Amino acid sequence: MNAPRQLLRIQCIGCVARFLGTPVQRVVLAGVAHVQTPRSQHSYGQLLRPFHCSAVCFTNRQSQTELEKTAEDETLKKDKSLVTHDDLFERAARDSKTKADFNRVVDVFSKKDIRRRGHVEFIYAALKKMPEFGVERDITVYNKLLDVFPKEVFVPRNFIQRMFNHYPRQQECGVQLLEQMENYGIMPNVETKVLLAQIFGEKSHPMRKYQRIMYWFPKFKHANPFPVPHVLPSDPIELARFSLTRIADDLDGKITIYQYPSTDITEAGEEVTSPHIVGIQSPNQRSLLAKHNPCKPVFVEGPFPLWLRKTCVHYYLLRADPIPPEEKVEEEFDPEMIGPEQSLFYPQRVELDLERDMGDDFKFDVDDVEEGPVYAMCMAGQGDQATLSQWISGLQETCPILGQIPTVFRLESGPRELQTSSDAQQTPEQEVETDHIIEEEPLHSQRVNQ
Amino acid sequence: MNLNKLFVLSRSVNLGRNLFAGRVAQKGDCLPRFQSRRSIRSSARSLVYAKDLFLGKVNKAEVFPYPEISNEELEEINQLVQPVEKFFSEDVDSKKIDHEAVIPPETLNGLKELGLFGIQIPEEYGGLGLSNTMYARLGEITSLDGAIAVTLAAHQAIGLKGILIAGNDAQKAKYLPKLATGEHIAAFCLTEPGSGSDAASIQTRATLTEDGKHFLLNGTKFWISNGGWADIMTVFARTEVVDKDGQKKDKITAFIVERAFGGVTSGKPEDKLGIRGSNTCEITFEETKVPIENVIGEVGGGFKVAMNILNNGRFSMGSAGAGMIKKLIAWTSEYACTRKQFNRSLSEFGMIQDKFATMALNAFVMESMAYLTSGMMDRPGVPDCSLEAAMVKVFSSEGSWVCVSEALQVLGGLGFTKNYPYERYLRDCRILQIFEGTNEILRMYIALTGMQYAGKILTGKIKEMKKGNVGVVFEILGKKLKESVVKTVDFGLTGKDGVVHPSLTESAKMFEQNAAHFGSTVEGLLYRYGKTIVEEQLVLKKVADVLINLYAMTAVLSRTSRSISIGLRNHDHEVLLTNTFCKDAHFKNNFLLTQLQKNSPENNDANIKKIAQEVLAKREYICSHPLDRTF
Repeated sequence: MNAPRQLLRIQCIGCVARFLGTPVQRVVLAGVAHVQTPRSQHSYGQLLRPFHCSAVCFTNRQSQTELEKTAEDETLKKDKSLVTHDDLFERAARDSKTKADFNRVVDVFSKKDIRRRGHVEFIYAALKKMPEFGVERDITVYNKLLDVFPKEVFVPRNFIQRMFNHYPRQQECGVQLLEQMENYGIMPNVETKVLLAQIFGEKSHPMRKYQRIMYWFPKFKHANPFPVPHVLPSDPIELARFSLTRIADDLDGKITIYQYPSTDITEAGEEVTSPHIVGIQSPNQRSLLAKHNPCKPVFVEGPFPLWLRKTCVHYYLLRADPIPPEEKVEEEFDPEMIGPEQSLFYPQRVELDLERDMGDDFKFDVDDVEEGPVYAMCMAGQGDQATLSQWISGLQETCPILGQIPTVFRLESGPRELQTSSDAQQTPEQEVETDHIIEEEPLHSQRVNQ
Repeated sequence: MNLNKLFVLSRSVNLGRNLFAGRVAQKGDCLPRFQSRRSIRSSARSLVYAKDLFLGKVNKAEVFPYPEISNEELEEINQLVQPVEKFFSEDVDSKKIDHEAVIPPETLNGLKELGLFGIQIPEEYGGLGLSNTMYARLGEITSLDGAIAVTLAAHQAIGLKGILIAGNDAQKAKYLPKLATGEHIAAFCLTEPGSGSDAASIQTRATLTEDGKHFLLNGTKFWISNGGWADIMTVFARTEVVDKDGQKKDKITAFIVERAFGGVTSGKPEDKLGIRGSNTCEITFEETKVPIENVIGEVGGGFKVAMNILNNGRFSMGSAGAGMIKKLIAWTSEYACTRKQFNRSLSEFGMIQDKFATMALNAFVMESMAYLTSGMMDRPGVPDCSLEAAMVKVFSSEGSWVCVSEALQVLGGLGFTKNYPYERYLRDCRILQIFEGTNEILRMYIALTGMQYAGKILTGKIKEMKKGNVGVVFEILGKKLKESVVKTVDFGLTGKDGVVHPSLTESAKMFEQNAAHFGSTVEGLLYRYGKTIVEEQLVLKKVADVLINLYAMTAVLSRTSRSISIGLRNHDHEVLLTNTFCKDAHFKNNFLLTQLQKNSPENNDANIKKIAQEVLAKREYICSHPLDRTF
C-alpha cells in the first residue's frame, strides 16, 4: 500500500514542479533537504534513511536491528582497507549461500557508508553473484539491490539535464539490473517502479526500460501453451507422470504406475533395488495394439531424451513398423446403414459423382509420411531390458495380445553423454548401466521429434 | 427434354389418381386394398413433395388441396374422441403418475377398454383400424399425459408397427389380436449401449441353430420404452447372410420376440427427467430361442424395416404437440386474463400477448403440418413421406419446447412450482427432441436425402458446368439474368388457376420466392461441395431449416386456403396466422439462404467451428477469468 502512495506523491511533486517551473522545484527539494540536514548531523546512519530508502524497505528494517549491529561491527573491523565487492560476497558465502546471506551483504554495504561510495560496482558484483546465491528469481532481492542507489540524487532537475544523459553510469547500471531481471523472466512490480522513480526520475532510461518490460512481459507471459514449472517435482514418479502427459498430448491417456521404487535386502544380504516404471497409454493406442498383427514384432525403443528446462529425462516407446499398404484392411460398412436413406443413425455418405469444387477446397497438399503406430510410452528408473520387460508384462494385463507378439528391445546407450549437461536435479535414470544393452537389430535412426 | 415430358406425363397420371382418391377417400372397402398394397419398398410413387423442393420445384398437386377425411370418418373419430377426452380429464391423474413414476393399472385398463392399444391395427385383428390421420387426432388427446402418450406410442407406433407393415399374415394373426386389446404390450428394441448414432456397432447377434429352425439371440438393448412390461418385442440383431457374391456378411434382421421364449431379462427402470410414468429400461437377451417364423420380412432386411417403422411414425408428434399447446393456451389465458398487475390484467401487456401469439402460431403450424403429412400418408399408393414426417417431428418438438416454456413464463414463479402442471409439461416435452432419431440426426437426414435426390438429377448438369461447357453456362447465366430481371417467380400457386386463396397471395409469393431461391442454393451447394457435403454439417443444418420452413409454409397455405374456401369457423384468424407465419419464415429463410451463399459475411460457421474445436481440444472453457491479472 505504501509504495503506490509514494509513487503518487512523487508524481504530485512532479506536477507541482511542472506548474511552477524548475526554480520552484529546486526550492522545494532544497527545502526538504534543509529540513533534514540538522537531523542527519545528529545521528549519523539511522535518521537519514527515510530520505535514502524507499518507504517499503524502511518498514522492513525494524526486525533487523540485530543483524545491523553485526554488520556495523564488521565494518569497523575492516580497517578501511580496499576490499572489492566480490570479496564481500565471497566472504559471506563461506558457510552458506542463501537469500538471507545475500541480503546481509547488501545491508552491510548500505550501512557502511552514507554516501554509498562504489554502489555501481557493488550492484554489478551483486548481479553477478545472484545465481550463486539462488536469488536470481527473487523480485524482492532485486528491489533491495535497487534500493542501494541513493535516492533523488540522479533525478534530473532541469531540462538540460533531462536532455543529456544524466549520470550515465548509474543509469546504465540500473538498466543492467532490469535486464538481468528480464533475462530471468522476472516481472518488476510497483515497488520497483517507485524505486526507479525515486532514484532516476520519471523519464530516465531505467524507467523507460521498466515501461518496456511492463509492456511486453504480460503479453508474453502465456505465450507458451505448454508451460514447464520452474520447480519440477522431485519425486521421480511425479516427474515421470508430468513428462509423459506432456509428451502424449491426449487427454484420454491413462498413466499406470507399474512399479514403485523400493529397496529390499534379500536373505543373502544383497541390496535389490527395483526402479520405478511409469507408463502411459490411451484407449486408442490400446485398441490399435489389440488389432496388431501378432506375426509382426513390436519394438521397445529408447531412451529418448526430453528436456524440461534444465533437467533431462528419458522415455521409452513401444512401437511397430507401419503397416504395408497391401496388408491394410479397410473396414467395410453396410451401405444401407450409413447411406443417406437412413434416419436413425447419422447418414455418412451420399452417392454422388461430384467432387468438392476447387474454389471451396481449402486443404493444403500435405505429403503424409507414414509412420508406425506408437502403442505406449514409459519412463523407468533403469533402462535395462529386465526393467522394460516388466513394463511390457504390465501392459499385457490390459492387452493380452501382447503375449503373442514378439517383442524386440532396441535400446541405446542414451543417458551417459547427457548426464554432464544436466544439473543436480536428475532422475535416477542417470545411473543406468549401459552394459545391458541388447541390440538385436541395427539401431534405428528414427527418433521421435519433440 | 424427354425426361421432362416423362415427368409431366407421370404427374398428370398421378394427379388424376389423387383427385380420385381425394373424393372417394378411404372408405371401408378401400381399406383392405390400401393395407395390402403396403409393402416395405419406399419410392414406388414418383411424385414427392419435399424432395422436389430441392430441385426448386413445387409439386402443388401433392399438397393442394389440403387433405380431407370423409364425413363418415369424421363422425367416427368424433365419437371416439369424446370418451377418450373424458377419460383423460377425469380418470388420469398425471401428477400422481409423474410423482410415483408408474402408470396405475386401472388407468392402463381404462386405456385398453377404449381400444387405444390398437388404434391402427385393422378391425379384423380386433383393433380400431384407423388411418394415420385419425391416429394423429387421437394423439392430440393422449399427449395430455406425456407418460401415457409415450407408452402408447412405444407400443403401437414403433413396437408393433413392424408386424403391421412388414409381418406376414400368420404373424399378424398370431400377435395382433392380443396386442390390439392391450393384453400384450409391445416394445421396439433397436438402440444399444454402444450404438448411439453409430449404426455399425449393433452388437446383438442372432445365430441360426443347427437344425435351422431357430435363431439364438444374444445381446443387450438400451433405453427400451415399455421394456419392463413388454411381452412382444421387435428386436433387431445381426445375422450372418450370404450375399450375391457368396461372401458372408453381417446384416440386420428384425425378429418378433416373445418374453415367453425365455432368456429375456429387463433391468431396473431408468429414473428420468420427464415422461416419468413410462417404463424405460435395459433388456438383455441370453440365448433366447426365436423360431425362424418370427423373422419380420426377410433375413437381412431388418434395417429397412426399422427405417420404415421410424420414418412413418414421426408425423404424430406434430398433432400431439399441437394438442398439448392448445390445452396450455386455454389454461394460461385463463390466468393471464384474471391476474391483475398495476391495475391491468396480464393479457393487456404486449410481452404477454407476444407469448400467446407464439403459442397460437406454433400450434397452428404444427397441426397443419401434421395433418397434411398424415393425409399424404393415407393416400392410396406407397407414399414417400419420410422426409415430411421427419420435418414435422423436428418442427413440433422444438416448437413444443418453446411454447411450454413460454406458457410457464406467463405464470412466472407459479409456473415453476409443482402446484401447476407446467413444469411437468416442460420436463415431459424435452424428450421429444431426443427420441425417435435426435433432431440433429433428422436434420442431417432431411438435408442429405434431399441433396442425394437433387444430386442424382443435377450431377450431369453440374459436371458440364465444371467442364466449362459454354452452352450450359450460358443457359444458366441466361436463367439467372432472367430471374434478376423478372423478379417474380411463379409456380402457379396464385393467379387464375391458382390453388392458394387470393387473400393469401402475398404469403404464397413469399413462399414461391423462397422455394425458387432454395432450389438454386441447393444447386450451388452441390456444385461447391459435391459428395463432401456430408461433412458440412452446419450447411446441412441450414438447408434442413429452410426446408422445414418451406414445408411449414406450404402446410399453412394449403390448410388456410381450404378453410377459407369451405368457410370454416374463424378462418379469418387462420389467414392472419398464415400471413404472420409466412412473413416470419420468409425472412428467416432469406437470412439462412444468404448465409449459405459463398463468402457470405453473415455466415459465422468457420468461427463457430473454431470456437468449438478450441474448447474441445482442452475439454474445458479456456478463457482466463475476468479478474485474473498478469502483473
